[in-house]
Amino acid sequence: MNIPQNMISFGVAAVVSVLIACVPLFSSSYTVSLTMTLLLFFVLAQSWDWVGGELGYVNLSHFAFYGLGAYVFSIAYSNDLHPALSLFLAPIVTALIVSVISVPLFRLRGEYFAFATLALLPLFQILASNLKWLTKGSEGIILPAEQITETAFILMVALAFVTFVASTILVRSPFGLLIRSIRDDEEVAESIGVRILPRKIILMALSAAIAAIAGGIHGWYLSFIDPTTMFGLDVALVPIAMALLGGSALLWGPLVGVIVLVFMNQWLLTNISILHSAFYGLVILLVGRFLPGGLLRSQLLGKVKPLGFLTKEHHEHIVSAGTTIGGLSLSKREPDQDRVALECKNVTKRFGGNTALKDVSIRINEGEIVGLIGANGSGKTTLFNCISRILDLSEGAIVVYGDDIAHLRRDQIAHAGIGRSYQIPRSFERMTVRENITTALMASISPPDYANAKHEAARFAQYVGLADQVDVVVASLSPQKRKLLELARALATSPKILLVDEVASGLTSNEISEFVNHIRELRDVYGLTIIWVEHIFSALSQVVDRVVVLEQGSVIADGPLAEVLENENVQRSYFGAATGGEIEC
Amino acid sequence: MNSSIDLVTVAQLLINGTLLGGLYALIAFGLSVVYGVANILNFAHGTMLAIAAISGAVLYEKFGLPIPVILIILVSFGFVFGWIFYLTLLQPLEKREPHQRTVGMVLVAVGALIIMGDVTAVLAGAEQRVIRVSSTYFEIRGVIISGTQIGILVGAAVCMIALHIFLTRSWTGSSIRAVAQNTIGATICGIDSARTSATTFALGAGIVAVAGLMYIISYPLNPYSGFPLTVKAFSIILLGGIGNLTGTLLAGLALGIGEAVVAFTIGPQWAAAVSILIVLGCLLLFPGLTTSRREA
Repeated sequence: MNIPQNMISFGVAAVVSVLIACVPLFSSSYTVSLTMTLLLFFVLAQSWDWVGGELGYVNLSHFAFYGLGAYVFSIAYSNDLHPALSLFLAPIVTALIVSVISVPLFRLRGEYFAFATLALLPLFQILASNLKWLTKGSEGIILPAEQITETAFILMVALAFVTFVASTILVRSPFGLLIRSIRDDEEVAESIGVRILPRKIILMALSAAIAAIAGGIHGWYLSFIDPTTMFGLDVALVPIAMALLGGSALLWGPLVGVIVLVFMNQWLLTNISILHSAFYGLVILLVGRFLPGGLLRSQLLGKVKPLGFLTKEHHEHIVSAGTTIGGLSLSKREPDQDRVALECKNVTKRFGGNTALKDVSIRINEGEIVGLIGANGSGKTTLFNCISRILDLSEGAIVVYGDDIAHLRRDQIAHAGIGRSYQIPRSFERMTVRENITTALMASISPPDYANAKHEAARFAQYVGLADQVDVVVASLSPQKRKLLELARALATSPKILLVDEVASGLTSNEISEFVNHIRELRDVYGLTIIWVEHIFSALSQVVDRVVVLEQGSVIADGPLAEVLENENVQRSYFGAATGGEIEC
Repeated sequence: MNSSIDLVTVAQLLINGTLLGGLYALIAFGLSVVYGVANILNFAHGTMLAIAAISGAVLYEKFGLPIPVILIILVSFGFVFGWIFYLTLLQPLEKREPHQRTVGMVLVAVGALIIMGDVTAVLAGAEQRVIRVSSTYFEIRGVIISGTQIGILVGAAVCMIALHIFLTRSWTGSSIRAVAQNTIGATICGIDSARTSATTFALGAGIVAVAGLMYIISYPLNPYSGFPLTVKAFSIILLGGIGNLTGTLLAGLALGIGEAVVAFTIGPQWAAAVSILIVLGCLLLFPGLTTSRREA
């Protein structure tokens, strides 16, 4: 359990916040304004990192949400609304607008997403400069002069505290875990049952709402806003530069970046009169070129022991969970041998002029273990990709327990009971084994309690033989171990039908027979239906009820293994010509 | 607005839009070639154009150099700059894992565009500049066409076609396309992919220099007006397809005409919003636009 750990950090943060809140009592107005700048940029950098670091989407328009908040506040306040109400409106309106524009934006990935978000800045600037009736155009909005410096300061301290606490909670919550799974491999996250789009939009809206409150408070504090200061390209990227300089997706990363850059900027302001934007540009460029993980991940810092806590990544919170003996949390049941689990009806898949699957019809009953074999390029993995809807069918239908899956999203297909492993492992690289499996558990329709899920995850890891690597980050696992993790993660989605894609290659014969025992047990005890793509016949022969042979996208044989291997077509397909000889299994 | 929009006005709008759109298409084609080959979405593309254009204007005003000489200076400088920029700042990022690579590329390009804009503003001034050349005007039934602008449109078309022929016919062009389609495959065939990407990036910078000079002969620019041009080029790529010459040309013309129509009917200050709205609109209507090419 993490509650005590959380409570300690919240307590420390609260004490620090109160101390900062006292700054105006005993220091100069210069110190107050400097602290205000620090707080503002901390809030912006930290809330940016929710999307930029945790979700892995480089959102370059975050500053525009700050500007939007400032505008909403200023327009409401200058129209005689109560400041508290205006401050309340700022995040609400901003979050609504951001939710709407997030829908098209999240169709993009990588640099495309970064680009489209950057293009929002000029759009907002054009709107703010030209909707004169609303925004007073490029002259900007001047708020009535008041003594609100201290109020605004205390509000900003409170907001910084809330942002810090929210980040901590986010990182340790199941929501945060699912968000990180999207970061590591969106497609896989979806096909183990994570509903992607609403989560992305909620996170983006939350992050924008925090920026908007900061904008409202800061606008009030400045009592003047105009389009250039709110949406100008050169200032807009400053908080992002800070978060990345410190170390994105690290609890202390944004804070460190903010402190370094704000003080550097103060020094520049007093010593150099030109090229401030160029300086920020240079920092952004250098971070991009030389510091992929930020200051806190640089090797130098890793050697300084006392600073170790700063460089902690977002996992490793449970070490004491230990090994838990007991069966898997899958429900035990007898397979109903007469029930059709999966049916492919005339499935055809074309890539341009190339037909990868041609009129494939297969019917598999519940509890069957079917080997899917065929030469390389015969369409085995393509068929798996069609069943889990990584690919869309060109023609035909795939029916799972009576329901056509054509209209389901990938996450719904996972919930319909299809689990799979990938031939080339696609684990969530930057997570631990436990986190990978926990993600699958938490992505189910009725997720278990988070703490229980973490314990269960260890059981799944143990089941496939990863007991010693439960809290190891996947990036450091061997390919074979990753394949085992693929199986554990697929099982954690509680599938009814399991698609296994070439697990045995690379395993020793002992490991193979253990794996085969698992497959048998999964069917006998948990009632799973299994389709297994494999080249190693000796592994298949131990457990399959029958095999389906694909050649150039068509089914050329379907029956018991020994019988199928006698088939001339199959021999030709595998060995080039009918030898008539015995094939050893 | 005038209630009776006559035919002459419409024709004038179409022609102005076409002249500008041809230039947009050239700018977008440069961005598209670099993206297609080096897989870099160069955020600094438009800024490089604005800087080249302003340097051209300074050379023209202060030193009185003739346009062709300026063109040669700018293109060679652009090429060398692009080459060095790629090899020192971008190529080393190729070794990173995909997410870190993307973040690195975005940061380097964005950092570079901010530096370039600011440094140029300090050196050459932040004000708008334009190269004024004397031009003959043709009038056909009330529609006025500037000879310079026709020259520019023809120049843009020639550049694009020449580039297209270079890419499809020459050996260097073939290797560029090979790298674009399958980097590893091209490397196995003995193509030095780093060098090819550097050549392409440099080529892109060279095109940008040409386009910049053409641009500033007809329209004013300041050191900060580069980024909106990148946005326009990006929206054209989205509409027309990466590396698709005809698509890029048509999309460029569509954007040019669209902006002219918006400027006339709603107001010139809204013209810049057209391209951004195209980007968002395209994404909303055609979700497959960017995923069809390559996964993130």
